[in-house]
Amino acid sequence: MRLRAIGLAVLTAASLGSAGLALAQEKQITMWSNWPDEPAKKDWVAARVKEFEAANKQCSVKLSFIPKADIYTQAKSAVRTGQAPDIFYMEPDQPEFLAGGFLEPLDSYVDLANLEDWAKPAWASKGKVYGVPVEAYTVELYYNKDLVKKVGVNVPASFQLSQAQFLDLVKKGAAAGITPVSQGVGDRPFPGGQLLFESLLRKLGSDDYAKLLNGELSFKDPRVVEVMNWVKELVDAGAYPKSFATLKLGESHFYFYNTPGALTFPDPSWFTGRAFAEPEKGGMPANFPLGIMKFPAMDKGNCPECKTLAIGGSFVMFSKSKNKDCAGAMLKSMATPENGTKWIGEVSLQSGLKSDQDKIVSPRKDYFAELNARNKDAKYFFGTPLLYYRAKCADTYVQVMNNAFPAGLLSVQEAAEKMDGACLKK
Amino acid sequence: MPEAIALNVKTSDREASTSARSLADPRRASRVVLAIFLAPALLVYCGLTAYPAFRTIFDSFFTIEGIEATFVGLANYRELISDETFWIAVRNTLIWSFVAPVLDVATGLLLALALYAGVPFARFLRVAWFTPVLLSYVVVAILWMWIFNYDWGILNAMLRAVGLDGLASSWLGDPHLALASVIVTHAWKWAGFNMVVCLAAIHSLPREVLEASELDNCGWGEKLRYIIIPMLRPTLLSLYILAFIGKMKIFDLVWIMTQGGPLWATETVSTYVYKRAFNWNTFDLGYPSAIATVWFLVVCASVVILNRLLSTRDRLEY
Repeated sequence: MRLRAIGLAVLTAASLGSAGLALAQEKQITMWSNWPDEPAKKDWVAARVKEFEAANKQCSVKLSFIPKADIYTQAKSAVRTGQAPDIFYMEPDQPEFLAGGFLEPLDSYVDLANLEDWAKPAWASKGKVYGVPVEAYTVELYYNKDLVKKVGVNVPASFQLSQAQFLDLVKKGAAAGITPVSQGVGDRPFPGGQLLFESLLRKLGSDDYAKLLNGELSFKDPRVVEVMNWVKELVDAGAYPKSFATLKLGESHFYFYNTPGALTFPDPSWFTGRAFAEPEKGGMPANFPLGIMKFPAMDKGNCPECKTLAIGGSFVMFSKSKNKDCAGAMLKSMATPENGTKWIGEVSLQSGLKSDQDKIVSPRKDYFAELNARNKDAKYFFGTPLLYYRAKCADTYVQVMNNAFPAGLLSVQEAAEKMDGACLKK
Repeated sequence: MPEAIALNVKTSDREASTSARSLADPRRASRVVLAIFLAPALLVYCGLTAYPAFRTIFDSFFTIEGIEATFVGLANYRELISDETFWIAVRNTLIWSFVAPVLDVATGLLLALALYAGVPFARFLRVAWFTPVLLSYVVVAILWMWIFNYDWGILNAMLRAVGLDGLASSWLGDPHLALASVIVTHAWKWAGFNMVVCLAAIHSLPREVLEASELDNCGWGEKLRYIIIPMLRPTLLSLYILAFIGKMKIFDLVWIMTQGGPLWATETVSTYVYKRAFNWNTFDLGYPSAIATVWFLVVCASVVILNRLLSTRDRLEY
């Protein structure tokens, strides 16, 4: 009897000890994600974390959703003091994190074969890959089929208007009291430049456009001036809302597909993150007549079929993470073709993860079919202006091309001079 | 022996009473006691105020990229001299600092005079006018961004309602109007604070002087011009200096409402420092530290000058 009691006590102690050891071995990693206000993306991230935790009992994840601007600011402070989360959201337009040595190369953690070949260069440096490119996007020109028809414009079978036809659309919309282009720059540094820069890409072609973005081609180049003059005509014709300077991105969605309604909406294809939410959560009404045009073809344009492709929301690992094993395992479990397929199906947005087109289950098949049709013969140029512009040049882009020029506050010459002054390499 | 004991007892009583006195009177406290009491506050001050200030000055002589710091001497300061955006920010901040306090204090004084004169619903108005002081900058900024909205903002709606459509503007989107719009927002927020201080000062004015002026058939305007405002001068100047110092480092409201735009029209030194430190695709803290150092010196110098101006005034006696 006594012997049994002793045996039981030893067994209990051993069990408690091993449980304690297991608890001691469990590691918690922290992860910051963007998209607190985009349900589909938020759900996708949360599901990946849950799956990872279920399959890796020794690791747990403390996941936080933080608005993009706040993540960047917090991450900048946090990496300086060594307090950054193990995994955090990042986009390739913040190269200073990589240059500063704050990102861990993922080659030994993630199966790089699961990433699209065109997506890897966005996160590659010195032969190593530093980010899991979950989100990819193309810059699209969405439009309201009914309203465009109502103002008397027929979108051609090519889905691409000419310069003059687009100007005509803007004028007709303004005359009918309908805002032609829903766009605002209240909380984002780039939307105001989309129409101009997509047009410049089609006019110049990929090579010269790259030179322009790299500061090797002047904004006073006659072809650039020609496009800027056309955009100025659009602006003067009332293309943008009067509240352009303060209209936020989320509000511009509402402006486009709810109230007051606009003819077109230039937006990267992460449009779906907000638009495909429930209407009561600010999403697009179920019966909204959404169409996707191509950006207008420029007169004597070098590349009418060109369009911008970019990597968006990605996840990176902090180089000073104390839990690299768990963080690496988390990123590895996220970067699979199955998850790429789920992302495309659930978020209705492209992904830098490989995917299986046949297995995509999407309630938005029509939308996807249209997006794929518009992208069918596209020649992609990689990266939006802010992926290329840095420091003073980037700040000038934000103030001039994103804000003042489309708001009609500057002439073409003034805008070109300011951009050249800040960006042109002498 | 008993005498010796008695002496010892007396001595220890004396020591105890001296010790009690020294504890009661900090001027007689020993250095050790003083150090014990001062240490926590000093530690907090050194850690959270002095060290960051000195570190900022120190960092301004370096270029700090990521973890690497390179000594560059005065290079950041030389760059500052030719930095166009910095000078725009300085100009805007000086407009804020010199013009906005006048508006703040004048509005506060007017509201206080209205209450003093017994405007109807004075009790309600006193609370209503003070309420904005209790609101955070974020709330105030969002509220006024709605008011200033071009399409449906109440300001433009009112202008359109009275047939002044031509005056309806993009208040925060027009470089000529944006700074003034943000300054007005700020004045609205702080008018209540200035009102309370002015009202207290008005109520503490000597009744005899005011009554004497009434006996001399002094009207409201004259009483205001020749008696009330001159007697309130020290209060108004104090409010002005307080507002001046606050405006020299204005950040929150500008950042939320305009982020320094459009075309840098509302850029202030603080927003520019923040942009250079956090928004310029660089981790370099050296250059923003140089801006902060220069501005720290400018603010210190301005406060010293204003204090001098204030202290040289003859004191009012009544």
